Amino acid sequence: MMERNTFYAFVKRLWRNKLAATGLCIVMLLCAIAAGAPIIAPYNCNAIDVKSILLPPSFQHICGTDELGRDVFSRMVYGSRISLAVGFVAVGISTILGTLIGAIAGYFGKWIDSFLMRCVDTMLCIPDIFLILTVIAFVGENVFNIMVVIGFTSWMGVARLVRAEFLTLKEREFVLAARAAGAGDARIIFIHILPNALGPVFVSAVLGVASAVLVESALSFLGLGVQPPDPSWGNILMQGKDNIETAWWLSVFPGCAILLTVLGYNMLGEGLQDILQPRLKNTR
Amino acid sequence: MFSNIARYVLLFLCIAVIAGKRAESKTHHDPVYGDALVVGTIGEPSVLIPMLATDSASHDVAGLIFSGLIKYDTDLSIIGDLASSWDISPDGLTITFHLRKDAFWEDGTPCTAHDVLYGFKTITDPSTPTAYAEEFKQVLRAEAVDDYTFRVTYRERYAPALTSWGNMAVLPRHVFEGTLLQTSPLVRKPMGNGPFRFKEWIPGDRLVLGASPSYFLGRPYLDAYICRFIPDPATLFLELRSGTIDFMALTPLQYARQTATDFFQKNFNKYTYPSFSYTYLAFNFLHPWFQDKRVRQAIAHAIDKKEIVEGVLLGLGEIATGPYVPHTWPYNPDVPQYTFDQQRAAALLDAAGWHQIDTDGVRIKDGARFEFTILTNMGNSLRMNTATIIQWRLAQIGIKVKIRVIEWSTLINEFIDKKRFEALLLGWSIGVDPDQYDIWHSSKVRNKELNFISYNNPEVDRLLEAGRRTFDIDERKRIYGTFQSILAEDVPYIFLYVPYALPIVHRRFHNIHPSPIGITYNLYRWYVPRDMQRYRLSP
Repeated sequence: MMERNTFYAFVKRLWRNKLAATGLCIVMLLCAIAAGAPIIAPYNCNAIDVKSILLPPSFQHICGTDELGRDVFSRMVYGSRISLAVGFVAVGISTILGTLIGAIAGYFGKWIDSFLMRCVDTMLCIPDIFLILTVIAFVGENVFNIMVVIGFTSWMGVARLVRAEFLTLKEREFVLAARAAGAGDARIIFIHILPNALGPVFVSAVLGVASAVLVESALSFLGLGVQPPDPSWGNILMQGKDNIETAWWLSVFPGCAILLTVLGYNMLGEGLQDILQPRLKNTR
Repeated sequence: MFSNIARYVLLFLCIAVIAGKRAESKTHHDPVYGDALVVGTIGEPSVLIPMLATDSASHDVAGLIFSGLIKYDTDLSIIGDLASSWDISPDGLTITFHLRKDAFWEDGTPCTAHDVLYGFKTITDPSTPTAYAEEFKQVLRAEAVDDYTFRVTYRERYAPALTSWGNMAVLPRHVFEGTLLQTSPLVRKPMGNGPFRFKEWIPGDRLVLGASPSYFLGRPYLDAYICRFIPDPATLFLELRSGTIDFMALTPLQYARQTATDFFQKNFNKYTYPSFSYTYLAFNFLHPWFQDKRVRQAIAHAIDKKEIVEGVLLGLGEIATGPYVPHTWPYNPDVPQYTFDQQRAAALLDAAGWHQIDTDGVRIKDGARFEFTILTNMGNSLRMNTATIIQWRLAQIGIKVKIRVIEWSTLINEFIDKKRFEALLLGWSIGVDPDQYDIWHSSKVRNKELNFISYNNPEVDRLLEAGRRTFDIDERKRIYGTFQSILAEDVPYIFLYVPYALPIVHRRFHNIHPSPIGITYNLYRWYVPRDMQRYRLSP
């Protein structure tokens, strides 16, 4: 278990790692924007003004306006809430699910392991985006469904990681000691092994946020994600596509926002990997 | 910006070219044969037999392959097509068509009254899956008097009778007789009698028609009509700009902004004319909230149609006040109008019992929040933007609206046919004849019929029945005028706007004469001067 002074040591190492530190700064900035959206956004993000359609960036509208005269900057600020919420909830679901399945498979082994891993393989066979599109078509498109569906279709990587950790950890002496002391399976899994297996899970969760943000944007871009009038970076981009020659600001700004977010989480994730699992450094 | 530099370079080049070519473009050319028109469309046809087609993509192409007995002239009057003339009996019950003798099917067989009769028998056959049987069921008797005389007798006087004899009910008897129309492979590669002939259809890619040398009004000048299917408006537009498409329908944004460059002015001609269609917000009368007229009127007052025409159509359309298009004879401008008035809307909702408001600002009645979903079809950004404006305006008077965009065939089969909707944002294409019995009559509420909102007004029923039983245009004008006033007062639909059709055509095509019925009515007369021809059809 990580104790207080090791936690400080961790933060110190994180801060010294340039990649992780930059990533962390970006992520914290985005979180601050999402939290402070009502203060930061200069306009109501859904206020339509047909007199100011597709205005280029200016002092009144620093990122311009969209097809219905709405302020793009305000919409992006509110859109960041949706992107982050989708990222965190989806990753929360996939991490918990993946960890549970991976832990059970890795700990019990034998046919349980074979069965669960074949399930993982089956799920991995189907390309993510098509699986998500299919499920969304059935359950209906709204933000909540998207979070859940992304979560339930992206746990396989985590499950494999956790299983691999469990396979090595369960042979260790401390597990044997716990068993000798009379601990049950659940106790061994959750109290003894799992905390030691969390490093890679943490890294993959951070990287997972980045891919969830991308998937949400892609779905909204296809019109299957966040539904109007709620803003999302993906659905601003969708309008941008139709006006790409005359209204570049509709594509460039949300595009940059997505780029920055994904970059931020990826940098943080890579940095964490360097810190937590230096032995894996050159294997990816 | 790089793109700006590129644009200036382009601009400079354009100016240089214009300066060099100006004198030449004024010269007059004689029509010559050759070249092809490449049309870009979003929708792909489903069938190419007019009586089986329900979508405009299919009708557009089928209309070039099949000619009917009559057609519309540019001033919207009826003129002969296959029929060179016709007589109407004094009692108005019998029409005798005299057919031209120089019309042939693609294989050289003469096109005769027997083909019309065969088409009529097929369309009225209950096993034929057609949406257009109703107007032919009014016929008491149809007969081919001789090879070139076709006579129909109606049960009662039926005003839209003449207009119904377009290309719906003409089929090559010698090809189809003895086969089942709907399962015939010819449904997707038909043999016709019109200006163009079917050549090739690569699903998902393109459909090719070639000029028909035996067309009775003369072989079209163009060698081919090629229809390319590109399901995304932005991609379609890029294809137009790169010169791989000659003709497409623009969106208002493309018309007003994206084509307002010198490049487009130099290379393309743009046209505008009011389309025979309107966009509406319809309420489901089976839903208890919308049975209250005050609620419908409140919603009408809460929507600013001017804002929609300005914001969504960029002014390229007109406000609709009823189910007819402004400037046509049935249109009645003096109907009750709903000005944008939020106080009035709120007062009407209060009166209808929706006076409580919850913490989210949504109105409540008997514990239910005033929350409903507007369904619309996928792929139409105009409707999507319209729905978003309505959603925003209704939120201001305490009505929460959700928008659901659904793929076309799912919307029709799963939601409209099963009457599983609260409100719909859709459009109707309308005919030139004002008869709208199928849409509004209370008998037309069964599955697959068009009064899917279940509207029932005995007075409207009476007017619709009277309107189709007289030929007197003033009388009909009066009847349909009253009909529009009742609809406006009753608000079964909120009539939103009549969009303009916004076609763009490459400049090398000559002989295009815009008219109220559009520009493609004389496609067989379009030509490209020889020095500008771009495509040569390989044999």
